[in-house]
Amino acid sequence: MTAGRSRFAALAAALLLGGPRPGPYDIALHPTPKAPGASGSARLFAAESPFGIGVTADGQARYDIRITAARLPRPAGLGRFTRYVAWAATPDLAHWARLGVVQNGTSTVGTVEMNKFLLVITAEADSAPATHAGPTVLHGTSPSGWLQSFLTHPLFRGIAQ
Amino acid sequence: MIRRGLALFASALLAGAPLAAQQPAHEHHGMPGMAGHATPIPMPANMVMMPGLVGLQPGVTPFVPGGGVDPGTLQPARPAALTALGDGDTLELTAGLVRRTIRGHDFVMYAFNGRVPGPLIRVPQGATITVRFHNRIDLPSSVHWHGVRLDNGSDGAVGVTQQPVPAGGSYTYTVHFPDAGIYWYHPHVREDVEQPMGLFGNVVVDAPDSDYYSPANGEEMLMLGDLLMQADTLIPYGADAPDFALMGRVGNVLLVNGEPGYALRVHRGEVVRFYLTNAASSRTFNVSFGGAPIKVLASDESRFEREALVPSVVLAPAERYVVAVRFDRPGRYPVLNAVQAINHFRGEFEPEVDTLGTVTVDSAPAVPDHGAAFDRLRANAAVSREVERYRKAFDRPPDKRLTLTVHTSGLPLATVQFMTIDTAYYAPVEWVDGMPDMNWLSTSKQVRWVIRDDATGRENEAIDWHVRQGSVVKLRLFNDPHSFHPMQHPIHLHGQRMLVIARDGVPMRNLVWKDTALIPVGSTVDLLIDASNPGAWMLHCHIAEHLGAGMMTVMHVDPTHGPGR
Ligand SMILES: [Cu+2]
Repeated sequence: MTAGRSRFAALAAALLLGGPRPGPYDIALHPTPKAPGASGSARLFAAESPFGIGVTADGQARYDIRITAARLPRPAGLGRFTRYVAWAATPDLAHWARLGVVQNGTSTVGTVEMNKFLLVITAEADSAPATHAGPTVLHGTSPSGWLQSFLTHPLFRGIAQ
Repeated sequence: MIRRGLALFASALLAGAPLAAQQPAHEHHGMPGMAGHATPIPMPANMVMMPGLVGLQPGVTPFVPGGGVDPGTLQPARPAALTALGDGDTLELTAGLVRRTIRGHDFVMYAFNGRVPGPLIRVPQGATITVRFHNRIDLPSSVHWHGVRLDNGSDGAVGVTQQPVPAGGSYTYTVHFPDAGIYWYHPHVREDVEQPMGLFGNVVVDAPDSDYYSPANGEEMLMLGDLLMQADTLIPYGADAPDFALMGRVGNVLLVNGEPGYALRVHRGEVVRFYLTNAASSRTFNVSFGGAPIKVLASDESRFEREALVPSVVLAPAERYVVAVRFDRPGRYPVLNAVQAINHFRGEFEPEVDTLGTVTVDSAPAVPDHGAAFDRLRANAAVSREVERYRKAFDRPPDKRLTLTVHTSGLPLATVQFMTIDTAYYAPVEWVDGMPDMNWLSTSKQVRWVIRDDATGRENEAIDWHVRQGSVVKLRLFNDPHSFHPMQHPIHLHGQRMLVIARDGVPMRNLVWKDTALIPVGSTVDLLIDASNPGAWMLHCHIAEHLGAGMMTVMHVDPTHGPGR
C-alpha cells in the first residue's frame, strides 16, 4: 500500500470511526502511477485580508495553500520536465489556475479563489507554464469535496425535487 | 453575585411555563412538497422539510412584540436622526413600541426614541455623556455600548454589571468615549428578539484630527440586518428561550437601516465614506458596490495600519468597518450581499445574491474631486506606532486557550441523524441557513454553546478568569471543527480593545484595534488584549442565539491597586 493510499485509508477510517480527523482545511494528496512512491498533503490558509476571512466579491473562499510533498522523483526522470507545478482545477476540469512551484518539503502556493476544487501537481518544462502539459504526480480534492448530497439519502426518502 | 441565575430570571419574566419538548403543530398536516402546502417556516428554493421534522414546532411559547396591540394604533418608526452631543450632555433614550411597515405589511416592533436605527449619536473623542434609559417595551432590557471602553457599571451587561431594567423601569448610564471610531448600542437581554425588532443604533466618535480618514464627499451609516418572514407573517420568537439555537436566526428579508431597499444618489466621481455595522443576529455579510472600488479605512476601534483596496466587505455580527467607495461612472450601482450557499440536496455550493439597495450616480461632476486622494493608500503611522508597543507580546505563548464547541441533548432524531452525515464537511463560514427546519426546532433548552477553558476544562460562566489591569493578555481561540454542529463564532470582548495578531499561525500584517473577531470553523485565532479597563467584562459569541444558549464567560480585570490573583 502506498503512502498516499494509507493516508487516504486513515482519513476514511477516521471519518467512519469518529477518531482524530483532518480539519476543514486539510487536503490529502494521492500519487499517480507516474510517481507511485510520492506522498503529500496540503493545508489551506485564508488569504491575507483585512477581514475575518478572505473571500471574493461573489463569496468564493480565497486560500493560500501550503503543500508538503515527499519522494517526488526528479522531474527529468518523467520526460523533458524541470519543475513540479501546483494547479487548482474546477471539479469538471474545465478551468485550471496555476498556483506555483512545488518541491519536496513544504512549499506555499496560491492564491486559489474557489470553494471547491481539485489540487493537481504536474511535472512541467518550466516554472510558469501557461497551461498544464506534463503528467500528474499528486492530486487531491478540497475539503469541501466531503460535502454530501442528500438527493438519494434514506433520510429524505426520495422526496427531493 | 448578580449574574448567577439571572439569565433564567430574565427568561421567566418573558413568558409562562416553559415547554419541555417539541410539540406537534396543529395547523400543518400532510407531507412536505405537496402542492399548495405551506411549510411553517420558509425553506430555501428547491428544499423541503425533512420528513422526520414535519409537524414539529420548537418547544417554546411563541412571542411577538406588543401582545396583540393593533399596529395601527402606534406611531410609525422614523429613520435615525443625528444627535450631536458634547462632553457633559445628557440623552433621554426610550425603548418603546412602534409600527414598522415591511414590504407593505404592518408589524409591532421596537425602537429607541421612535427611530430605527436609534438616534445616531455623534460625540467628540474623549467626551463623557449621560444616557437616561427608559424601558417602555414589553420585555426586560438594558443598553450595552458595544466596543466602548467605558466604566464597568455602565456596560449594560445584564447578569454581569447590572440587573435587567424591567418594563417601565429606568437606568442611567455614564458613557465615556476614549477612542475614535464607529460603535453601536443595543440591549443585552434577549438580543435574539430585541435587536432584530429594532433596538440598535450607531455611535460615531470623532477624532480631533479633521483629516483622520481620507477625504470623502459624503458619509453614510449602513446598519445591516435581516428578518425571518413567511409571506406577511413574522416568524415568532421563543418567549421562554431562544429558538434557532443551532445556527441563530438567519432572516430572508435583508435590511439596511431597518428597511428593505437602501437608496443613495451621488454625483459622478464622488467618494462616499460608508460606516458599516452588522446588527444581524447571525448572518455574516459580504457587501460590494456593483464593482465600484472599495478602500477599507478602519474597523471597530481604530483605523488600520494601512488602507487597503478590497473586493468586498466581510462583516460578522457586531463587526464594524469604515470604507471609502468611489463611484466613477453615471448609472446605477447595486449594493450587493453575495455569498456561496450550500445546497444540501445537491451537495454543491450555489451563489446567492441579495440586493441591499442602489447607489444612483448622476452625470454632474463631484465637487471637490477626491479621486487622487482615493487612489493613494495611506499608511497610518500613529496606529503602527501604538501597535509597536505591544509587538513584543506577539510571539510569546498564549496566556489563555479557549475552545469553542457545543453540547446538545434532546434534539429531534432526524436532526441528529442528519448532522451525523452532514458534518463530514463544514464550511469555514455558513453564510446562509441551508436547513432552517432543523435550526428552527432547536432551542436553548437542547443546545448549549460552549466556551471551554483548555487548562481547567471549565465552561462558560464557570471559567474563573482574572487578569491584572494594565496587562497584555494573549488569548488563543480554537473553533472545534468536530463538534455536533461546527459554526463560525464572532467573539466579542466588552470594555477592552484587542488586536487579531495571527490566524492559523499566520501573522496578520495590517493590524487594527477590534472588539469583535470572527473565528471560522476549524480556525485558531490569536488575540492580544489590552486589558487596561478594570471590571468584569463579558466575552461572548455575538450570534444572539448562541449567547442565549450559554456561549459567554467573564474576564475580570482586577484593578492595579485592588484585590487580584
Ligand atoms: Cu456563536
